[in-house]
Amino acid sequence: MTSRLSSTSEILGLAPIALVIAIWQALVSSGLAPAVLLPPPGIVFGRLLQQLVTWTFQQEIVATLFRLFAGFAIAVLFGVAVGIAAAANPAINAIVKPIVRVLAPLPKVALYPALLLLLGFGHGSKVTLVAADALFPILLSTYYGASTVEQKLIWSAMAAGTPRYEILFKVVLPAAMPSILTGCRIGLVISCIVVFLAEMITSTDGLGHVLITAARTFQAVDMFVPLITISLLGLILNGLLGALRSYLLRGFPEA
Amino acid sequence: MISPAALARRAAPVFACIGLLAVWQIAALWLKNDSFPTAIDAILAVPDILGDKEALINILASLRRMAIGFGVAVLFSIPLGLLMGRSRAIAGFFNPLLMVIYPVPKAALMPIIMLWLGVGDLAKTLVIFLGVSLPVIYHSFEGAKAVEEKMLWSGAAMGLSAAQRLVRIVLPAALPEILTGCRTGLVLALITMITSEMIARQSGAGNILFNALDMGQYDTVYAMIIIVGAMGICLDATFERVRARLVLWSEPQFDMPLSFS
Repeated sequence: MTSRLSSTSEILGLAPIALVIAIWQALVSSGLAPAVLLPPPGIVFGRLLQQLVTWTFQQEIVATLFRLFAGFAIAVLFGVAVGIAAAANPAINAIVKPIVRVLAPLPKVALYPALLLLLGFGHGSKVTLVAADALFPILLSTYYGASTVEQKLIWSAMAAGTPRYEILFKVVLPAAMPSILTGCRIGLVISCIVVFLAEMITSTDGLGHVLITAARTFQAVDMFVPLITISLLGLILNGLLGALRSYLLRGFPEA
Repeated sequence: MISPAALARRAAPVFACIGLLAVWQIAALWLKNDSFPTAIDAILAVPDILGDKEALINILASLRRMAIGFGVAVLFSIPLGLLMGRSRAIAGFFNPLLMVIYPVPKAALMPIIMLWLGVGDLAKTLVIFLGVSLPVIYHSFEGAKAVEEKMLWSGAAMGLSAAQRLVRIVLPAALPEILTGCRTGLVLALITMITSEMIARQSGAGNILFNALDMGQYDTVYAMIIIVGAMGICLDATFERVRARLVLWSEPQFDMPLSFS
């Protein structure tokens, strides 16, 4: 949420995480929760480290990451293009706006069975689901960013003799960048979540599948491992996007 | 009287719906695929599902779980978010924990929660609660953070206690932002409801959808998709009405009907 916390509040922030782990440990040691249902944190994290170095588990991560990035990339390309086109052209806007109003609140997971039937059980259906879910926040924030670009900037560029299509790349796109990146950030979190769910529902590989296999065989330890992994992946990707953001937005007053 | 332009704007989503269904119809006719019925076939299957008593009870049970999960989450998250927004210490305490939890798919907790609480209503409602809480906390936090200090100082100078200031000044000022979070949460509640029922295949709308998929009843699959989609659109539109009435005073601000899972 806020990336610039002072060091004291960072230490304070670690407290609740430590507290959760402590309560977790206490629940197990006190015998309130049987270890079959709630394995002690030490064992879970040990298992995580042990799994992370195995080739099979790494392949599952790669499968998940591939789908995540493919879907997210499609959503970014499509969302930014349509968002800017809708903001720049009233005719496109008149078509896109009602469609987005209808499709955005639609629960995309419900479309997954249809995607399965149409695209099969492979990468295609999962990538499409991720793209469909990540698309709308990116599209909407791009549209918002591009339609609030100061008109004076565009007039100045026109007065300076910039051709129309260049205005798009030289004025509108950079000015809308903060908003686009906010949308991308939301889209990225959604991609993480959706790819995992899609893999849980039907898959033969990926982190979601690891969780379901563990759940079917009642291996509580193995159920926590993919969950922690996806959370870590989300944090790492979020951090990378944050770094990209501060690189792209250098020179912006409030990046 | 409604002007023609306003009428066109109101009717636009309806036209969009019709247009999308038409695209579906054409695509289905063109592909001629057994597993892809035409839009008309799917719509004709809708009354069959809604007419079936068991299916209807299942869908209503889903909606009840969703309403409870959403309600409890909103009641819990708004105060927490507001406190986080007004107190740096509380924000610093909870922020990292929430950041760690954020990218975890809440519905993915379902198998673990099922181990503890069984496959009943409690587990599903808890998952919905978890899914809705985060965006509502986040938006309440952002809203409370942006409240003008001067208003709070004035309130303090007029002798309002800290708790009174929170209820009388911070809550109304942050309301537009909070409602944006609630709207996100509403869509999210629907998604979490469906996914939790897909995973704990016992009852509910998600169960009907995926059972039909397993049994190859493709008309039912697509009809359920239409029903769930219609639920999403109707809930969103209703909420938008309520929101417009509650925060009439605020700028008709742009907000995103986001969907998380």
